[in-house]
Amino acid sequence: MTPIETSTVGAVALALDAALLRHQAIAANIANVNTAGYQPVRVSFEEHLGAQAPRLERVEGEAKVELDVEVAHLSANTVHYQALLRGLNKQFSILGTAINEGKR
Amino acid sequence: MDYRAAFQISASGMALEKTRLDVTSMNLANVHSTQGADGKLFRPMRVVAQEATAAFGATFETLSGTTLKGVRIASIEEVGAAPRSVYEPGHPQADDKGFVAYPAVDQVSEMVNVMTAVRAYEANVVAMNAAKAMSVKALEIGGQS
Repeated sequence: MTPIETSTVGAVALALDAALLRHQAIAANIANVNTAGYQPVRVSFEEHLGAQAPRLERVEGEAKVELDVEVAHLSANTVHYQALLRGLNKQFSILGTAINEGKR
Repeated sequence: MDYRAAFQISASGMALEKTRLDVTSMNLANVHSTQGADGKLFRPMRVVAQEATAAFGATFETLSGTTLKGVRIASIEEVGAAPRSVYEPGHPQADDKGFVAYPAVDQVSEMVNVMTAVRAYEANVVAMNAAKAMSVKALEIGGQS
């Protein structure tokens, strides 16, 4: 753990990977909306409080792809991803302040 | 993680819906064809979709975009419906009783196919635009914000 690579950066990077994997899962569900017998996939990550790597899971039982639900998940996931990126940028801008303000 | 996989998944979905639209247009265009390209009666077609293979239960280190591949065309199959017989004694293709066999194209279900294909295509476009927005934002990490 270096001063630049803090636990914040590591945690946000893991959450970003989870959001990207979730996006891929939702995109795959949408691509298979008209596929007979297709069971949707989900990503579990936040349930484990970020302690585990994101995991891809098949929805069991008589589930089918609901297009509106998937698009809603997609929008939420995109906003979540951008929020994480804003946090990461903030972290780096704090570091930038620490680096630059000392030389004055 | 490879962000380009999301684009490929959505692209596979768009390609499939476009093929579905092509096949449906072919069916509708041939609704009054009494002969197909092979000289026999034209048979309406259906696209059968299949999920592109993926491995599950693996964590994201092994799921590096190559496992979720979206969708692919399993086959394009003929619909096994009986042809429509129409009484047209003057038609050159009429049989000895005066009946002409027309393809069993169901216009209502073909129109429904058009609508679902267009809507599914739009949903794939939405997913691809979201992937683009995410990638563009990710490229701004560490920039001036």
